[in-house]
Amino acid sequence: MTTGLEHYLLVSGALLSLGILGLLTRRNAVNVLMSIELILNSANINLVAFSRYGAGNVNGQVFAVFVIVVAAAEVAVALAIVLTMYRLRRTPNLDDADILKG
Amino acid sequence: MEEVLRSLALFRPETALTIGLLLVVVADSIGGTWRNAAVRVLSLASLVAALGFAAQLQAAGAEGSLFSGMIVVDPLGTFFKIILILASLLVVAVFSFRNSRELHGLGQGEFHALILGLTLSNLLLAAANDLVMLYLSLEMVSITSYVMVAYLKGDRMSNEASLKYLLFGAASTGAMVYGLSLLYGLTGTTSLPQVRDVLSTGIPGDQLGLFVATLLIVAGFGFKIAAVPFHFWCPDVYQGAATPVTALLSVAPKAAGFGIVLRFFYGTYALPVTGAWDLSGIMSWQGLLILLSVLTMTLGNIAALTQNDMKRLLAYSSIAHAGYILMGVVALSDAGARSLLIYLLAYLFMNLGAFLVVTLVHLHDGTFDLRDYPGLYRRAPLLTLAMGFFMLSLVGIPPLVGFLGKLYVFGAVINMGPGYYWYATVGALNAAIAGFYYLRVLKVMIIDEGNEDKPPLELAFADRAWLVLFAAANLLPLLVWSRIDEWAKGALTLYAGR
Repeated sequence: MTTGLEHYLLVSGALLSLGILGLLTRRNAVNVLMSIELILNSANINLVAFSRYGAGNVNGQVFAVFVIVVAAAEVAVALAIVLTMYRLRRTPNLDDADILKG
Repeated sequence: MEEVLRSLALFRPETALTIGLLLVVVADSIGGTWRNAAVRVLSLASLVAALGFAAQLQAAGAEGSLFSGMIVVDPLGTFFKIILILASLLVVAVFSFRNSRELHGLGQGEFHALILGLTLSNLLLAAANDLVMLYLSLEMVSITSYVMVAYLKGDRMSNEASLKYLLFGAASTGAMVYGLSLLYGLTGTTSLPQVRDVLSTGIPGDQLGLFVATLLIVAGFGFKIAAVPFHFWCPDVYQGAATPVTALLSVAPKAAGFGIVLRFFYGTYALPVTGAWDLSGIMSWQGLLILLSVLTMTLGNIAALTQNDMKRLLAYSSIAHAGYILMGVVALSDAGARSLLIYLLAYLFMNLGAFLVVTLVHLHDGTFDLRDYPGLYRRAPLLTLAMGFFMLSLVGIPPLVGFLGKLYVFGAVINMGPGYYWYATVGALNAAIAGFYYLRVLKVMIIDEGNEDKPPLELAFADRAWLVLFAAANLLPLLVWSRIDEWAKGALTLYAGR
């Protein structure tokens, strides 16, 4: 059996599902960020696979590189915010971030 | 090379902002006692220059695709650019460090650099013509907003707000980029006009794939414009962020989001041959957006009824307004797009005005709570009068600009035919519900007893002047309305990609 587009899409679908599962169940801010990375990487697998098997151009691969760069920038900001939260409250647990409501 | 030079000529507003941003960073790092003044002057100068260049493009009716089709310049995009630059300019000019108690003592250089960065990314988002550019500019708007919300470093509310904003934002843009990857897979291209060309020859493969892709992309847009059910971050972020940041976030990224929604649905998905909404005569997105819009305005208005924190109240009010503005997208006609532009312009003046009043009350009394507002009529008559203008404009009472915005939006929906009368009725009912909480603010300020022992508010001259100017901006456009109407109409006629 040769590897085709559908195999890559299966892996990417699985990654997306795992990412969403983690997003909904994890309570530690860092774990939630890791789940978001899974979602972004599932999109990257899609982009590269479509570029290789479907579209016949490299736009998808270029897009994937940009997604990786932006994800790194986003995580840098996210970790800074989580660090500040840890300094202010001594916990990375999202359930404790509950002063804003109503 | 030639194309880059040609592109740069149409890229002047963005270039002005980029240069301003770099100069602000340099000026701030050189230091000296003059640096706060220099930073402010530099930001104002680059924003004014950008506004001038955008107005120039608008006057020339410039059109074209830039940088290998990554972004486009067209009158519609330029109209959005003018709104976006104006929003940032007003925030920098009016909400200075002088009249914001929250920002007092914090670094001004970073703040102004962030505002310029946010403006730049907003402009790019409103002009994005490629899936890659769309994603990049949307993320640039988001990441700068996260940092701006987190600006009050030691403040737990600001920190919590930015954390919530970031997690919601990252999750919805994650969903969006998955949708974009599916769209790329279905069409084999990342350029929006080419996506349209492919779709116009019939949907490749399965319709379900395209439906899922669009739903996921709408999640990203919905987050930016704070539409239900992607609105959960909105009240918390508006409450936790410093008020000048809230004022900017409530107008600028929202307007840029509507810009890209319009471009995406109007320019990419709507096909000239088969009619506006039926994509190749097979699929209709209108139902989805009508549902989104009805939910957004109803939930926003109902949740606003019980709020006592002014920033939360205005947050829910801005969610409700996003619902009204979405009506202009749903109409997906020239009238609809024009009503959207006019509503955004009106919304800019009434919402920034309301936030200015909230900032000034916080500066003098240190409170955002509506229950501390009684007696303001006696203590600050001018402030209360101006607030009256803003609140009545937000309700949509004639002859203020808020009324004209609603008139155009409802008119565009009614023009679609009797089948949509119910939709306009829902909008009108919502406007009536909204009247309750806006007028409640006025009632508390004017009629309610309390705070007899507090001295009158001593407003600075600049603040008084800005209050008067904002109040005038809510009333006077009526006198030159035919010109504004023409301007909005002219912004549609040359809309590239139709």
